Amino acid sequence: MGTILIVDDTLFMRTLLKNILFSGGHTIAGEAANGEEAVAKYKELKPDLVTMDVVMPKVNGIEALKAIKQLDPGARVIMCTAVGQEQMVKLAIKTGAKGYIVKPFQAPKVLEEVKNVLAS
Amino acid sequence: MKEVPLKIEHDGKWIVVKAGVGEDRISFPAPVEKEVLFKSVFDLEEKKNVLIISAKGTPDSILRIASVEKVLIILKRLILANCNAYRLMAYFMSPAIRGGVLSKDAQWEKGSIVVVKTGIWFVSATKQISVPLLDVAAIDLTKRDVQGKQTDVVRIDHVDAGEVVSSLVLCPLSTLQVLVNFLKDTTKGMDMKGNELDAVAQQVAMLIYSGMDSHAIENMLNIPHKQLDEIYDRIIKLEIAEVITIRREVQLTTKGVRYISDATKTQTN
Repeated sequence: MGTILIVDDTLFMRTLLKNILFSGGHTIAGEAANGEEAVAKYKELKPDLVTMDVVMPKVNGIEALKAIKQLDPGARVIMCTAVGQEQMVKLAIKTGAKGYIVKPFQAPKVLEEVKNVLAS
Repeated sequence: MKEVPLKIEHDGKWIVVKAGVGEDRISFPAPVEKEVLFKSVFDLEEKKNVLIISAKGTPDSILRIASVEKVLIILKRLILANCNAYRLMAYFMSPAIRGGVLSKDAQWEKGSIVVVKTGIWFVSATKQISVPLLDVAAIDLTKRDVQGKQTDVVRIDHVDAGEVVSSLVLCPLSTLQVLVNFLKDTTKGMDMKGNELDAVAQQVAMLIYSGMDSHAIENMLNIPHKQLDEIYDRIIKLEIAEVITIRREVQLTTKGVRYISDATKTQTN
């Protein structure tokens, strides 16, 4: 179980992830609606894991991932994006993402991925 | 012909026989006394270690066979290589995504795609994966990064044990287009216009997909039970959801209130 920062520009997806992660026994450290906020919240909250949407206003998920990795090279970040944008996988993995989930997702698989990444 | 022990359903009972398996046929001794040429097979299904073979004839025959995995693998390989089906050589990745999570050990495999009457088979030297057409949730011609190049691939989503599994097929574009058209045509009964659901109902559907129950959906969308119930009615009518369980909300009767009051007194005294 770990503390998790949820980053997504839509309230709906944040709420969904919050419910899934909470049901899996995790603690929600905080939420952010864009990349800029994500980096600031990461500095402040030092979560065990971040779920990061890729396409967001202001600073996108990849840029935020880079910034978080600069702050903390050991940061565990799972990227999260919509169907059809999976080409971002390579870039995200290259940038240091530990996992990748594609929307729409199913709760048990998300929890499994989170568990694997937290154990890594 | 090689003799292999297997079970076959005959007159409603499972019996053990030694079937003769050749490169182009399988034959069953008495009391079944039947020979099936693989080229006459037009459908092959696999359900929990039981192979269901449908072959043309007068009348068409449907054989249900069970055996150890090793025997079934050989039978499937022979049937899929020779049966009457739409077949194409391709690279495939299955599963590529399961439940929205990318399979880390997924890789492109060289093999073939065999489309029979009720399903699609992904066949390689090491895999024989069956996707029943009734379980196909989406078919898309899309692009993927393959060895650094954006390449056209077909993505086939299907539901397996409640999880959505995505598989990718890679072959020349013209063949992919034929495959997409064929599969879309075969599964067109499941298509929707896209305007059947309003925004809230779409969110409800998305939450159901993600595994949320009624209570969680009501809380997340901040909607009353009655509204959710109406949305459930609509999506059930559209055949995009089905009832799996009915829960009841109850309140205590006067007798129940009295029982609890008494029980509390007993505990506090």
